[in-house]
Amino acid sequence: MTFLFNTGRTSAQGTGLEHKSGPEYREATSVCRMNPVDLMQLEIEAGERIRAAGPGGVVVLRVAASDDIPQGTVFVPLGPYANAVVGAETHGTGMPDYKSVEVEVEPTDDPVPTIDQLMEAVGGLAYLEEER
Amino acid sequence: MIHRDMICPFCGCLCDDLVITTEGNEVVQVDNACTLGTHKLMGAWKNRLKNPIMRDGGEWRDASYEEAIEYAAGVLLDADRPLLYGWSSTQGEAQGLGVSMAELLGGVIDSTTSVCHGPSILAIQEVGHPGCTLGQVKNRADLVIYWACNPTEAHPRHMSRYTTYADGFFLENAFRDRKLIVVDVRKSETTSIADEFVKVKPGGDYAVFSALRAIVRGRADVVPDTVAGVSKEQLVRIGAMCKEAKFGALFFGVGLTMAPGKYKNIRNAIELVDELNRYTKWTLTPLRGHYNVYGSNEVFTWMTGYPYAVDFSRQIAFYNPGETTAVDILARKECDACLIVASDPGAHFPKACLEHLTKIPTVLIDPMHTVTTPLCRCQIPTAVNGIDAGGTAYRMDGVPIHVKKFMDLGYPSDTEVIGRIFERIQEVKHP
Repeated sequence: MTFLFNTGRTSAQGTGLEHKSGPEYREATSVCRMNPVDLMQLEIEAGERIRAAGPGGVVVLRVAASDDIPQGTVFVPLGPYANAVVGAETHGTGMPDYKSVEVEVEPTDDPVPTIDQLMEAVGGLAYLEEER
Repeated sequence: MIHRDMICPFCGCLCDDLVITTEGNEVVQVDNACTLGTHKLMGAWKNRLKNPIMRDGGEWRDASYEEAIEYAAGVLLDADRPLLYGWSSTQGEAQGLGVSMAELLGGVIDSTTSVCHGPSILAIQEVGHPGCTLGQVKNRADLVIYWACNPTEAHPRHMSRYTTYADGFFLENAFRDRKLIVVDVRKSETTSIADEFVKVKPGGDYAVFSALRAIVRGRADVVPDTVAGVSKEQLVRIGAMCKEAKFGALFFGVGLTMAPGKYKNIRNAIELVDELNRYTKWTLTPLRGHYNVYGSNEVFTWMTGYPYAVDFSRQIAFYNPGETTAVDILARKECDACLIVASDPGAHFPKACLEHLTKIPTVLIDPMHTVTTPLCRCQIPTAVNGIDAGGTAYRMDGVPIHVKKFMDLGYPSDTEVIGRIFERIQEVKHP
């Protein structure tokens, strides 16, 4: 199904900003809020996972139900998960389309990747604090 | 030890009434701050990188400051088109050094502005900025509009310090007399306390601004029954509220700058405010995110004439957002080295940009292990401004405030580290 993809700040995402290697930030930014009616149409329940494909790529997200999200749209907090979907075209403004991007959403059993896995997928090298 | 009148280094509100209690090198209590500021101040000392780190083949190793600074200077000196990006969560003194360094290197310097309120600045450059300080809003505004933003979650004390819950010198009963209109594409904590919640269809803001401009001009007859999901009846009611206000303040967030239309949305907002000023007093202020992103615009402008995305490759300052902005330069795979200061493009840039960051020597100056850490070749931890470093920051309304240091954890400040990198570069460029 096609949805309009919106990103934005949330207080959970904001409080995780100072410890982005922690689980709170990962939890806060990998959640996709959707209208319960859309969840029914996708035949999934809150807590299950979807795969969102947009102009920048594909990412697996955990779903949460929210009456505040209009039908036909999904909301993902600003962060590395949302940006896996956003394209780099700025239409001559310097600003990518972080709001109102069309994405294809489908249910999946794939796991939500860790942030390190997302960064390694683009060529990075995880820095593991616990090994040091 | 109790530290009074401290400045919060989180968002563009730069709240200046914090009381911070420390025991040794630990923050044990923060009073007056919001949840975001409290979290930053209580936790920041815990999650610091202990020392500089560098990539060595397929693994990370610890490095000394001397080695990391030497590496950073070498990378920048070797590059043909270095990009110096970030600058919004650091002190003005470091931003100034960054501009001087970019000029000497013939590189590009851009701040996080380009992915937050860059489009607002483009609009302001087209039609001007009817702005004021937040003190004016607090004491005078009897109608406040929050458009495409959610201050309850992103700027949690904005409403209690400056609008809905604040006392006003010229308002008898500010809480009762001050009306609130919230315009957004979805319900939020902020919309739930509004006198009027205007729910716009995604991408419909430009049309709603145009409709309101027509109504304010007395041409409601040209407005259709609904505009982007908003009824004409509600628009006419809001138009009347705006004209009847003694002092109106329009605040907007990245919901306008990131949505389709981008800077044209802001231009239309400014022109609505212009229109309203023919009847009464209205002002407009972007809600700035990083606590000193406004400072980067101030410092860059007074040093180069341009507020962000400044390219020195022609030996003069050149500015062309869409071409000289960080996302575009990275997406075109144009820069051959990158210095990132006090920001986290790993968490906020599209994937295509991150792929290029991993292919070039990228150096990160940041106190914490962030999402950008895996993408860089070298990271240099520094002190956090407002905790163990002090310096100048600009509030979202352009008021400069000295952000204070209240503890020392032994880390050098951004200004010191960038100053040392700049010295090395000067030794080579101006021996």
